[in-house]
Amino acid sequence: MKILIIEDELEIAQSIKNYFKSNGIQCETAETYDLALNKIDSYDYDCILLDLMLPDGDGFDILRELKRKNKTDGVIVVSAKETLETRLEGFNLGADDYLTKPFHLSELLVRMQALIRRKNFKGCNTITFNEIVIDIFSKSVSVNNIKLDLTKKEIDLLLFLISNENKVLSKGAIAEHLSGDMADMLDNHDFIYAHIKNLKKKLHQAGSGDYIKTVYGLGYKWENE
Amino acid sequence: MNKKKLLNKTTNSFLAYAIIILLIAAPLFYYISQQLYIYETDEVLHFHKGAFAKESHKGFTQTDIDLWNKYNHEVMIVPDMGIKKDSIVGKMLYDSIAKEKEPFRVLYAPITINGKKYTYTEKINLVEMEGMVFSIALMFLFIIIILLIGIIWISKATAAKIWSPFYNTLNQIQDFEIDKNKPPHFIPTDIDEFDRLNKSLERLIEKNTAIYKSQREFVENAAHELQTPLALFQTKIDTLTQLDLNKEQSFLVASLNTDVSRLNRLNKNLLLLSKIDNESFLEKTTIVLNDYIKKHLDFFTEQASAKNLTIITEFTAALTITGNPALTEVLINNLFLNAIRHNEKNGKIIITTLKDELIFLNTGQDTPLQIEKLFNRFAKSNPSSQGNGLGLAIIKKITKLNHWEINYSFYNNLHRFSVKF
Repeated sequence: MKILIIEDELEIAQSIKNYFKSNGIQCETAETYDLALNKIDSYDYDCILLDLMLPDGDGFDILRELKRKNKTDGVIVVSAKETLETRLEGFNLGADDYLTKPFHLSELLVRMQALIRRKNFKGCNTITFNEIVIDIFSKSVSVNNIKLDLTKKEIDLLLFLISNENKVLSKGAIAEHLSGDMADMLDNHDFIYAHIKNLKKKLHQAGSGDYIKTVYGLGYKWENE
Repeated sequence: MNKKKLLNKTTNSFLAYAIIILLIAAPLFYYISQQLYIYETDEVLHFHKGAFAKESHKGFTQTDIDLWNKYNHEVMIVPDMGIKKDSIVGKMLYDSIAKEKEPFRVLYAPITINGKKYTYTEKINLVEMEGMVFSIALMFLFIIIILLIGIIWISKATAAKIWSPFYNTLNQIQDFEIDKNKPPHFIPTDIDEFDRLNKSLERLIEKNTAIYKSQREFVENAAHELQTPLALFQTKIDTLTQLDLNKEQSFLVASLNTDVSRLNRLNKNLLLLSKIDNESFLEKTTIVLNDYIKKHLDFFTEQASAKNLTIITEFTAALTITGNPALTEVLINNLFLNAIRHNEKNGKIIITTLKDELIFLNTGQDTPLQIEKLFNRFAKSNPSSQGNGLGLAIIKKITKLNHWEINYSFYNNLHRFSVKF
């Protein structure tokens, strides 16, 4: 899987690259408008991360160029400027998702995977991890072909954990993922403990392995035994 | 204090002066006219007597005198009453025509006829004078009143005209709000003082608007500029989290995580405040608040579970409002989280919707909050709390923008926040 990161902040691009590498995602970076257009012309990418504010051009122009070339599939706009207008314009120009800076790398990863899934596996949309099978469309989870009774939040949490396999997820990152738009207001992330506990229990009762590891003080990690 | 209007004030003093003058002048005028009339009457009496003494009486015999007295009622020649010189007195005498006592002026004068001493008496009825003085006084009063009414009316009309630029300025200043982009336009005036007033106000407003604007832009720019370093901070912490950390390092990274999310929240709230200032949330729809609260009750119940709070909803009426959906959500979320954040363990939250009011009651600290500072930015009642002191400022801003009314009170050990729509 190959993605392009169009981002003028090299350190952010580097962090994304490092974070994604271990999940088998190959990242290329472009820190200027011209470089970005060059790379888009020469290669095909599964996903493009696009920062709207570039030193030598407007990110929206890149989107327009992509649209002209019919390559808008799989663009995630990343921007520090968040207004309803820029968001709408982004979507109008064919972006698939919009993420506001600052963001958690884990959030970016899970969104990107969801995007690529939507793009590549039309029709059949399941994620399998050993004995666990998640059906994205019907929002159901089964372990060894036995359906589990999970809440929407728990399925969400499970997806987030599996998508970030082998990554330590901070409580804050999980809380923000689970509460969506409300996340900006939360000053307490303790509520996720209950969700983790319930999910662990339900998976365990269904005979699944103990994949959720507690990283002391920091958060949780999904790890193959 | 009961405030008086400028125009009434000038007219009122006018009116008071006029009434005082009238009250003093009317009796004085009556008295003076009366005195003048009496003086004139006395003159006439003296004149009559002089003429009588000069011509008529020289050859009068006693018979002539008797005859004279028989046909004259006003002038009589009576035997000497011992009067040495002319004297006039005012008297009430019986008048045979009017058949009642009436005021008279009576002259007694010594007179010598044919070498014999007599007393000359003459009386003049003053009743005519009473009527005349009265009608003159009435006329005078009438003229004065007409004059006064005229003066007051004219002064009022001219004052209204003169002060109209002032009132125009006053109204515009009254409607002026520094956070709205509508500077006042004063009507040009040819009165120097008002012109100076308008120019000074214009300068003052212009200067303050500029300062306000630059301050607002500063907050907005600062918040925007902070997004990138925050993003760097966040991604680096995320990267750091993936390293093989020992216990001490883990705790450090965890607390860094908390710090950065606090910074994030603070920055987003600042951005939100400046966005509200910039009127980014103009479009409005009809929102049923009960539905919104019901929809998100699970989320808030989850947030409240850490403190084991009981949330009670009392939807006594369907509270339907018109407002911007995004801002209304922010308003309710902030009220809700505020009630959770400042609550105590095992406390409760009661949410009530009335026809035009939303009320959040919550347990918490057992003393009322300081109302003056409550809605100010960064005014934290409890310095150790996780809040950033912007929640209530945002609530205040949203209610102000929509002309709603936020109120706080404390009774029965419950903190009460209510929004009147």
